[in-house]
Amino acid sequence: MSQLSSRHLLGIKDITAEDIQLIFETADNFKEVLNRPIKKVPSLRDITIANIFFENSTRTKLSFELAEKRLSADVVNFSSSNSSVKKGETLIDTVNNILSMKVDMVVMRHSSPGAPHFLSRNIKANIVNAGDGTHEHPTQALLDAFSIREKLGDVAGKKVAIIGDILHSRVALSNIFCLQKLGAEVMVCGPITLLPKHITSLGVKVEYDIQKALEWCDVANILRIQLERQQIKYFPSLREYSLFYGVNKKMLDRLDKEIVIMHPGPINRGVELNSDVADSEHSIILNQVENGVAIRMAVLYLLAGVR
Amino acid sequence: MPVLLQSLRIIDSEKIHSPKDFILYDNKVLPADESLKLDFEEIIDCSDFLASEGWVDLRCSSGEPGDEYKETLESLGELLAFSGFTKAVIMPNTKPVFQNKNDIQFFKAKTAQWLTDPIIQTAVTKDALGEDFTDILDLNAQGVFVFGDGINPLSNPDRLMKSLQYLQKFDGVLFDHPYEPLLALFGQMHEGNISTRIGMKGIPNLAEDVAVQKNLEILKYTGGRLHFQTLSSKDAIHKVRLAKEEGLHVTADVSLYQLIFTDEDLITFDPNFKVLPPFRSEEDRKALIEGLKDGTIDAIVSNHQPEDFDAKHMEFDLAHFGMIGLQTFLPAMVKLSEEIGWSLLISKITKGAKHVLGIDSEGMESLTVFSPDEEWVYDKKTNISLSANHPWMGDTLKGKVKFVYNKGKLAKF
Repeated sequence: MSQLSSRHLLGIKDITAEDIQLIFETADNFKEVLNRPIKKVPSLRDITIANIFFENSTRTKLSFELAEKRLSADVVNFSSSNSSVKKGETLIDTVNNILSMKVDMVVMRHSSPGAPHFLSRNIKANIVNAGDGTHEHPTQALLDAFSIREKLGDVAGKKVAIIGDILHSRVALSNIFCLQKLGAEVMVCGPITLLPKHITSLGVKVEYDIQKALEWCDVANILRIQLERQQIKYFPSLREYSLFYGVNKKMLDRLDKEIVIMHPGPINRGVELNSDVADSEHSIILNQVENGVAIRMAVLYLLAGVR
Repeated sequence: MPVLLQSLRIIDSEKIHSPKDFILYDNKVLPADESLKLDFEEIIDCSDFLASEGWVDLRCSSGEPGDEYKETLESLGELLAFSGFTKAVIMPNTKPVFQNKNDIQFFKAKTAQWLTDPIIQTAVTKDALGEDFTDILDLNAQGVFVFGDGINPLSNPDRLMKSLQYLQKFDGVLFDHPYEPLLALFGQMHEGNISTRIGMKGIPNLAEDVAVQKNLEILKYTGGRLHFQTLSSKDAIHKVRLAKEEGLHVTADVSLYQLIFTDEDLITFDPNFKVLPPFRSEEDRKALIEGLKDGTIDAIVSNHQPEDFDAKHMEFDLAHFGMIGLQTFLPAMVKLSEEIGWSLLISKITKGAKHVLGIDSEGMESLTVFSPDEEWVYDKKTNISLSANHPWMGDTLKGKVKFVYNKGKLAKF
């Protein structure tokens, strides 16, 4: 198989384990390209890609843009801060306007869960979901799993604890789907008010005690508290959160094994993760960032093949 | 002039009767009797059709006044008759809200030509905001006996208590759409496995269960008549079941489409499935059917809520709640008839619905005749509503209303 089963990447839920393996194998090749003196290939030189970001983003947008440029695509950027969205234009109109300019692919971040699905039903371009509200962030999950594979050799059979604000996290949901498809065991850990009530229906373990979660896992993926998506109070204070759910070196020292520490960034240092862990040898946070470019190159390259 | 309907199979709450001839005459539906020597204006063979007393819908909305582009009272009247309804309660949530004498006069004037008997539900609190009361007795003097804030829950316990007390002067009924808004904050769909999978903020069953429990306790204290609209939760139904056993004067209804769809239908983020209360789990759906069977739920309603294209053609969490449901009512019943049976379905839109309104059934003054087998395409051409927010748009549906008789008039479709 050398083609994805879908012409869009809307979510990990919608692709197969074979798709994921294909993306990984393609990313392996691109990672090699990224380490060459000339880090560019001509694969997408006839493709125009619009990065449409209705929500703030620094690293994801940068990573996509870099991936697109490394593939020689033409790139246009659009973000909500200077968009017509605030003038009341609908999503479909905004995107249609951009497509009238003959764009082939759209990479979109949006605050509404399912916004890329809506778009895929209404426009012809390939859609890559760069995060839709509290739903999915598929390329983040792919790069996370790719990074685990790189560090531990394989994802299958590994125990991964996702720690933090699961309720508001698209990273958590995509990671759960991705890791399970690849044969890993997943646990979620956080204050009970930040865990979806029906989370066990996804086949994950649930733990409220972070030390127990760390003892269980091979990999701890620490999530950021999504204050911007919390419209009401879910826990008493950041101080209390960091005391009971923040990961520090002392906690890792208490373990009788070494675990891998991940974070999708940006880190709230001193809240969910202390610097003595974030910058330690346990951490593969910067590898995640590096792998993000290779994974996004792979996704864009493969989707261009199913246009 | 009298009309003879030959070989008509009448459905009532007991069974589907064997074919008999009926006469439409003098505002009544009479069994054909040879002693009645009448010259018939028309003789219609109804051997392929089923029929029942005219149907009653306890919950449908118009956009007029305010949102006439969604539905006018004229289009709603046409839609109701075409869909087989001879009596319908119209919700108050227009702009402005139906809540004073002038509104009643406007409503009466606009619905004077309807084949369907219109029953206006007026808001019990001003602008249906759950705060100050409307002039309830003055509205009753205009003939209003159904009160309630429509799509808004009356969640303030003091207002609910006083409403139930005040309405007792004229034996009025309070229609309540029970849910606790603070437990449904930002909710977009049923909270369950599907909402978890698609990362959508959920509306838990708890929001309805708490409201039903609270309002039943208040009813126990006040007395009066309370009608719960569009129940959706398994536990809420059980609470109503227990309250009825206890002898409280409570009735309940369910939206027909709640018996068809579940939260599984929302997996593709189609805003046409976004309704309130939300489509719940299969377990809840089965409990609703159980509630219909054992009499806990008295009536089935269309919950016809028109929304224009732009209110639905957008991101799921920004789209409006609501689905139209009149023209698809019979096709939906056809789909359910194997699971539930025609007698039970029909009883909930005739006898059961009239029981909620406190109307006694004596003889048949209206009739709805329909073909359960006729197929038709539901599309822009055939859609009578000014809105098209229904997931079956474009589908071939089975079941068509053929004749409606009401107020001495026979309409054929």
